[in-house]
Amino acid sequence: MSEAQLVMRDLELVYPTAGVGPLNLELSPGGNLVILGRNGAGKSTLLRSLAGLLTPRSGQVSLGGHEVGAMSPGRRAEHMAFVASTPPRGSALTVGDVVGLALEAGSKSAGPSDVAAALEMADIADWIDVQLDTLSDGMAQRVMMARAFNQAGSMVLLDEPTAFLDVVGRREVMHDLGKWCASGKSVVLATHDLEAVEQAGWANRWLVLRTPEQGGSLLLDEAFNAQKARSILTGEA
Amino acid sequence: MSVRQSQMVLVLLMVAFFASGLFSGPAQLDWSAEWAALMGRGDATTQTIMWRLRLPRLMMAAFSGAALGLSGLLMQTYFRNPLAGPSVLGVSSGATLGVAMVALGGASLGWASRNMGMGSQVLGALLGGGAVMVLLGLVMGRFRSRTALLIFGLMVGYLTGALVTVLQAGADAGALQAFVHWGMGSFANGGWSSCVFILVALSGSIVWTARTCSQLDMWTMGSLTARTMGVDERKLTWSALGTAGVLAGLVTAWCGPIAFLGLATPHLVRATGISGRHSKMLWSVVLTGGALALFADGVVRWAGVPLNAVLSLVGAPVVLLLIMGRGPFGSAGKTGARL
Repeated sequence: MSEAQLVMRDLELVYPTAGVGPLNLELSPGGNLVILGRNGAGKSTLLRSLAGLLTPRSGQVSLGGHEVGAMSPGRRAEHMAFVASTPPRGSALTVGDVVGLALEAGSKSAGPSDVAAALEMADIADWIDVQLDTLSDGMAQRVMMARAFNQAGSMVLLDEPTAFLDVVGRREVMHDLGKWCASGKSVVLATHDLEAVEQAGWANRWLVLRTPEQGGSLLLDEAFNAQKARSILTGEA
Repeated sequence: MSVRQSQMVLVLLMVAFFASGLFSGPAQLDWSAEWAALMGRGDATTQTIMWRLRLPRLMMAAFSGAALGLSGLLMQTYFRNPLAGPSVLGVSSGATLGVAMVALGGASLGWASRNMGMGSQVLGALLGGGAVMVLLGLVMGRFRSRTALLIFGLMVGYLTGALVTVLQAGADAGALQAFVHWGMGSFANGGWSSCVFILVALSGSIVWTARTCSQLDMWTMGSLTARTMGVDERKLTWSALGTAGVLAGLVTAWCGPIAFLGLATPHLVRATGISGRHSKMLWSVVLTGGALALFADGVVRWAGVPLNAVLSLVGAPVVLLLIMGRGPFGSAGKTGARL
């Protein structure tokens, strides 16, 4: 699958009602974007709009020239994947099942050897027969990331993947994310974890979501700086 | 034991239960006469017993058990709730009301039933169950969550229950007895035509489930993850609920509201260590449901206890063990049950 460019054109979200747009942004194949914003700023809404799960109030999102809202779910899944803030609970699937399903969703060959190779790459080969439900949140989240990057041909969206993890879990997930970034797929990450993003060192574009009365949204093309991000978010800049 | 091996065991169990049902019964026939009748020879009475009574009853048990097991599996997966079963949509409550209207309320379906070759009770059940399915389809777009759907089924159950009570209060003793008898459940009421109906629905549902296995697997990871893995939520909702509802409705029409079978079957399968991928569970659930129904029907014939009593005596302890999170449900351990 060819890698595709993500484009937001005059994008206005359905939430927050005060509006954080219009957002105009192009993300080249392999590029990454960190989305910051206070609780309720619209980070999840933006990610869901990018994933084609929510219809924007106006404007459009396209991937490789195709509007994401108009793609079939199957076609979208080949291009992009989504990692939620909490790993799924209550499923009896094993880690091998999860990654196998991801390869299938991405229209890739999903035989036992493909699954084994994918798990090997993600450094989770030992867990192949372990039920996802029995893993800790941090371990399960690493599996969900391996799933997403094995599924998506172009882009992975992550909605606060470390929100509920302890210090070690955060470090491991961010470390993994850095490795996946290097694999050439676009990454869009919404997070509050400023220090971890700075430490990981891969972020070079960031979008701060703010309503007009907070000063409007801000797109920065520079290495991530936790200090600066914090002062923008608290309005002390 | 591998999945294949356990399915072989289930097939053997089904054959054993089926054969024991075929070659035993209150008529006390001897083996050679039974066999001759099956081959189309011997006296007419024995042939009638074998071909009109025993065979269709056993077929009905096998198909209905399989259908309820599959319906239960689909409901538990769709609602991500281990306590969901074929009855959660309210389809069987609708069917019960339909039967009550015919048996107790004197609703006349005589003309239709003569022309369609079905008893008017069956027709009443089909209409009642169908009405709930149509109602569900009409209001489904208004529900914001799956929990709302569960509450819909529950409320339909209360409403129909109240109407049935009203009908019961004004009914005469004979009609009341017929209605209560229907509610006890039985595989003996159908004939060959009903077997064909259920077999067709069952086959279609098995084909649909087999083709949708991966999507159902993804669904167990939550709707957000499933939708971003290519699952069309709307399509899956309509087809999963439609399939499970039709299976439950058809079985209820001919066999009465059968308790527990659909709820307990997927859990029994999980208890044997088969869980996770639906491709693995599908045939095990179908075969276990069939075997369980044949076994229960055997107990009904042997002990003379109504079907629903037999099934509840088996099913209730299963549900109790399940919510206590122990017993034979090994992996169900701490979190109740994984689907």
